[in-house]
Amino acid sequence: MSELVRLTDITKVYQGGVTGALNGVSLAIEEGEFTAIMGPSGSGKSTLLNLVAGLDRPSSGSVTVAGSDLGRLSETGLARFRRDRIGFVFQFFHLLPNLTALENVLIPAQLRSRVSAASAGRALMSRLGIGEVADRYPSRLSGGQQQRVAVARALINQPKLLLADEPTGALDTKSGDQVMALFAELHQEGQTIVLVTHDPKLATRCAARVISMLDGRVIDDARLETTERKPADVIRVRSEEPSR
Amino acid sequence: MTAILVKALADLRRRRVQAAVIFLTVLLAMATGTMALTLMSQTRDPYQAAFEAQKGAHLQVEFKASTDPQLLASTPAIIGASAAGGPYPATSLQFKHGGQSFYVQTFGRDSAGGDVEVLNVTAGHWARANDEIVLTRSFAELNKVSIGDTIQVVSVPAQPTLKVVGEVVDIDEGSADLSSQHAWVLKGAVPALTTPGLSTYLMDYRFPSDPTSSQLQSYVDRLRASLPPGSITASINYLLIRSIFNITNQIITGVLSAFSVFALAATIAIMATLVTGIVISAFREIGIMKAVGFTPAGVIGVFALQVIIPALAACLIGIPAGTILSQPLLANSSHALGLPYVPSFSLGLDLLLLVGGLLVVSLAATLPALRAGLLKPITAITIATAPRGRSGGWLRRQAARLRLPQPIVLGIGDAFARPLRAALTLVTVILGVATVVVAIGLPRSFQLINNSETGAGNYQVVINRSNALPDAEVMRILNAQPETARVVALDGENIAVPGISDPVNSRIFRGDSSKLAYMVIAGRWFSGPGEVLAPAGFLHDTHLKIGDTFTGSLNGQALQLRVVGEVYDISNLGHELFMDYATLPPNTPNSDPSTYWVTLRPGSDLNAYIQRVAGTQPDLLDVHPNNTSLIGPVKIIDSVLLVLAVVLVLIGVGGIFNTLLLNTRERIQDTATLKAVGMSPRQVIVMVAASAGLLALVAGLMAMPVGLYLHRLLNDVVSTSTGNDTPPSVYGVFSIFELMAMPLLAVAVAVVASLVPGRWAARTNVIEVLHAE
Repeated sequence: MSELVRLTDITKVYQGGVTGALNGVSLAIEEGEFTAIMGPSGSGKSTLLNLVAGLDRPSSGSVTVAGSDLGRLSETGLARFRRDRIGFVFQFFHLLPNLTALENVLIPAQLRSRVSAASAGRALMSRLGIGEVADRYPSRLSGGQQQRVAVARALINQPKLLLADEPTGALDTKSGDQVMALFAELHQEGQTIVLVTHDPKLATRCAARVISMLDGRVIDDARLETTERKPADVIRVRSEEPSR
Repeated sequence: MTAILVKALADLRRRRVQAAVIFLTVLLAMATGTMALTLMSQTRDPYQAAFEAQKGAHLQVEFKASTDPQLLASTPAIIGASAAGGPYPATSLQFKHGGQSFYVQTFGRDSAGGDVEVLNVTAGHWARANDEIVLTRSFAELNKVSIGDTIQVVSVPAQPTLKVVGEVVDIDEGSADLSSQHAWVLKGAVPALTTPGLSTYLMDYRFPSDPTSSQLQSYVDRLRASLPPGSITASINYLLIRSIFNITNQIITGVLSAFSVFALAATIAIMATLVTGIVISAFREIGIMKAVGFTPAGVIGVFALQVIIPALAACLIGIPAGTILSQPLLANSSHALGLPYVPSFSLGLDLLLLVGGLLVVSLAATLPALRAGLLKPITAITIATAPRGRSGGWLRRQAARLRLPQPIVLGIGDAFARPLRAALTLVTVILGVATVVVAIGLPRSFQLINNSETGAGNYQVVINRSNALPDAEVMRILNAQPETARVVALDGENIAVPGISDPVNSRIFRGDSSKLAYMVIAGRWFSGPGEVLAPAGFLHDTHLKIGDTFTGSLNGQALQLRVVGEVYDISNLGHELFMDYATLPPNTPNSDPSTYWVTLRPGSDLNAYIQRVAGTQPDLLDVHPNNTSLIGPVKIIDSVLLVLAVVLVLIGVGGIFNTLLLNTRERIQDTATLKAVGMSPRQVIVMVAASAGLLALVAGLMAMPVGLYLHRLLNDVVSTSTGNDTPPSVYGVFSIFELMAMPLLAVAVAVVASLVPGRWAARTNVIEVLHAE
């Protein structure tokens, strides 16, 4: 496996912030890995994900994804990078309400001028179990369906890396389970996934690697189901976090 | 109440750009409206005041010199005049000044005062000796003649010189750029200045109350009946003079009024859009306001005040600005009337405008704010923003079928996502583009009319001869010039026509006058004796139509005339006749043409021609290039139209800008999402510009028929007010290319206006926006 993401000594300080959201984080993610980034609110996990997605820039350090040093890319370059290399799944889906499900899925492809992506989009949606709702507007879909549409949108350009920020946070348990099952399936097919969650059970359910964060630092990096660690170890680490 | 004000002020600070848009649009609309209403309310009064102060003549009649003065002195009693002036001996005087030749009808009068037609001496003094002359101030200013200047009379063989000693304002004649002018000498000076056969007497009549047009006609008819046939050579009444004085302001006030209504309508549309937009995007805030105790009326007040406060500021500046801007036009009127200029405004009118303006603004703001007041708090808090409709989906799909780039497809869909907002935006842009169409078209129409009136392109040289030089000699000189291609000679006679009180000024042409290219609206140009053309005003007042015959009277001789065409001519508000020289009865006294319009062969040297012809008879011939420049009032109207177009375009741009700002703010999460999935900043700008471009294109296309209709309507108003129908050619002043280009120009302007909200949207911080969710 080759390295897909490398973060080197990343710090991120927001304007007016006294302490950093990230403080000297370094890590690497291999192609094909399913990595969960876990931590309580304010631990810096979403900030980390945003930096990997090219949505934000670090205060210092470097972020390299799929061979691209994101610090060297312009805003337009970053937009192309997100469009071509990254799929992003949000907690609140962020579907465009005035577009149908299929139109939402096709947007990244059409931004890339892939005008003939409709059949691919429909196929993808069918594969994700939402083929029958392709022509419906988001307001007519359940939360689970909306998130599947968001996943389809994230996958339409066959990204190198799928990023998901609390993808089940706005879903009921059943829908959340379905979405996680979908991620597991995608991982089985070779998709590199980075999942941000504050739920240790969710993190350890599908991910082969769990990175725990606290106060902007990586406090644990566990590869599960190996000789090194087991899911229970990760959950134990979580329970041993100092109270904040 | 304090809480409402505090909240409204805080929101205003937060929405500074929208406040600025409201301020500017209301300012422009109120300034334009105030200007129109101030002009309308103040222009009529100065003329009336001057007419009373100068004891203006309700009726002025010119009689043949052979009429017995004693008989003339008895005419006031015949028609029941309460006061009279005259008989004043009069003669047509031609004089030279500064190398130019001028004609003035000169009257013998020993004082400026009297019971009728008091002449207001504005500079110098009244004539005290026989070698002194008094001119109208209007003539002196137009032709740059100053007090103390010496003029040489060339219409009599002795060619005496006269000294200009005074300037007066005469309420009984129009300004020099629209009418021929009078001059005055002492009675004793008249005989030496009179060409035999060219003298008349003038009588001024004033009645106890302002007579109507039909009363005036009956007075002239009574005079005609009680005097020997042909005694009356000309007459003019105060109604015509007043119309000439007021016509420019009437047209300007008409145009200003129409377009200030446009400006107000556009402003209302913008404000309604704005408040609707603010309410839509602030559902959660409305819920919170209600949750903490704001009553529905309080919520409505907060939103309405956000519009009313900047609108009030705009009214407080716009109304005085409009009043001030109308002053130069009012000063111009006062100056022409010889009245001292006093800043003219009505405090009551200004207050009425303030109250009216605020009322309209309040209504425009309150109606959409009602939605906020009626919203249930829990609903508002839960759904945070108003649900977006699916409008625009059809357009988006059509655009997608055309395989347009995705940002353009999305932008096109966004343009009509809020149908009401889109409709109101269309209104503002339609009004702006339509005004531009009018502002471009009307000056062109005026230019066409001007070209027709001045013979632009049809003759290049105008020659006036002194009575001392026979017509035949002038023709010999002109025909001897190799460059002379055509000479049309012109005589003027006053012909009495049944149904019209004043004898009708007639243009009598000798030569191929059909080539002069007057605008023939219906029928044809005359081709023989007895055939005449007349403007619509004449035909209307005489109840004649093309093909009809009537009997006119010239110097007491009957003339059988047949109407063969309707012509456009603004002189005397449509009371004019055009005919061939051969129509005149043989032996008509003094009917030899005195003006010659010469068309030169292509490539001729105009200046060399003028110098050579003038050199043949330097004292007896006045030779000058044909002056085809626009008259002053038309220039003023053109300028007013230009200003109005700029105002309406600014308001239209404000409308587009406002809508885009609301759209981009309302769709900030969508934009952030699009950026997150790979839309570049440039693509965001393109998306916003596409939205603006489509709105402007649709509005531009809709505005073209509106603008063309308005152009037609205003042309008709101007034509009607000058006693004419509009010539069809005056409507068609736009090329197909221009008709296509104007909507595209609107698109270009809208795209430029979209750059600010576009850049703002492109700079959306994805993390901040999505995190806020």
